[in-house]
Amino acid sequence: MAKKKKPMLRIFLIFFVIEVILVFLSGNFNRELEIGFENGKFKIRHVESVFNLQEKITEEFQIDEYYKHHGETPKLWGSEKLYEFFRSIPMDSTPVGSFQLLRMLLIVDIVLLLLALFIRKFLTRRPSKSQILFELIYTSLEEFVTETLGRDKVYYTPYIVTLFLFIWVCNLIGTIPIPGFMEPTRNLNVPLGLGVLAVVIVHASAIKFKGAWHHIQNYVNPKKNPLFLLDIVGEVSKVVSISFRLFGNILGGAIIILVVSSLVSFVVFPVGLNLFFGMFVGTIQAFVFTMLALTYIGVEISE
Amino acid sequence: MELTLAQGIAKAAALLGAGLCMGMGALGPGVGEGFVAGKACEGIARSPENASLITRTMLVGQAVSESTGIYSLVIALLLIFAVKI
Repeated sequence: MAKKKKPMLRIFLIFFVIEVILVFLSGNFNRELEIGFENGKFKIRHVESVFNLQEKITEEFQIDEYYKHHGETPKLWGSEKLYEFFRSIPMDSTPVGSFQLLRMLLIVDIVLLLLALFIRKFLTRRPSKSQILFELIYTSLEEFVTETLGRDKVYYTPYIVTLFLFIWVCNLIGTIPIPGFMEPTRNLNVPLGLGVLAVVIVHASAIKFKGAWHHIQNYVNPKKNPLFLLDIVGEVSKVVSISFRLFGNILGGAIIILVVSSLVSFVVFPVGLNLFFGMFVGTIQAFVFTMLALTYIGVEISE
Repeated sequence: MELTLAQGIAKAAALLGAGLCMGMGALGPGVGEGFVAGKACEGIARSPENASLITRTMLVGQAVSESTGIYSLVIALLLIFAVKI
């Protein structure tokens, strides 16, 4: 058997060696090396690097605050119409953050749609690898639904699978190292919306299966439920707990990646951190969110 | 930017509060996750054929019990970045 060559590994090694040589060429860690062409000639020169971690974190995580202090906003959008539309929404600062968030959400939606079309197109009787992965996701989540809600309520599976896939792709898309890419779940609005939607579905299914008056009595009638005030607070805390868990995990991971990669920015790109905080924590948190939403539904409609 | 004494004290108190919040908030999840992991080890030692199920349940339980630590992280971030002097 012939020895298998690994061209990718060799390319990575060559780039790593070039990077190390460039790092030691730059000499002083307060300077950055700028490489480019000037007047048709290859040129290397030193640039004094201005580095402020606080500013960088503000730029990454509170981009509206950053541009409010620094004045000019970047031209993110192609057309003036889009810019005027975003300005017309009443906001007290620049619309850059919401624009970035909406753009990332659109990208996630396009990814999910393309995945769905791609998987549908190549459905075969002898499944390929990607088909096995998605069938595994669907059947395992369907199994969870039947364990929790019972076999006759298996029609909750599409909602649960959609929730899982959406949060999963949202968490994984931050690992792509392109400027401007971020996890949409890093913004509190997205997890909060998902949590409110989950609780609304919980109550809608409770009203559907137990009857409206019978369900509302739990929250207004002191004779039937003496601790009804605590139950109302509990419903609000469900939303807060389920959404702040996702938000805090993703935001904390992103800040840790930013801080550590700024410490070692001249040496390596922190692949391991992206692997842990992006992929492992992202998958676990998407799974936990889905399981908690399923458990809330199960607790309400099982009685 | 120049800070007055009162603003400096407020900034220092916010930073100190963030550090205390993170340190104390990490105690509980640390103990809880270690307890869960130890129990999972015992369970796997008792019945190695259920290892995958136990590992999955352990990860979900740890992620849920981590949430108090995450709340303290959110509050520490609020203290650092959102407190306006």
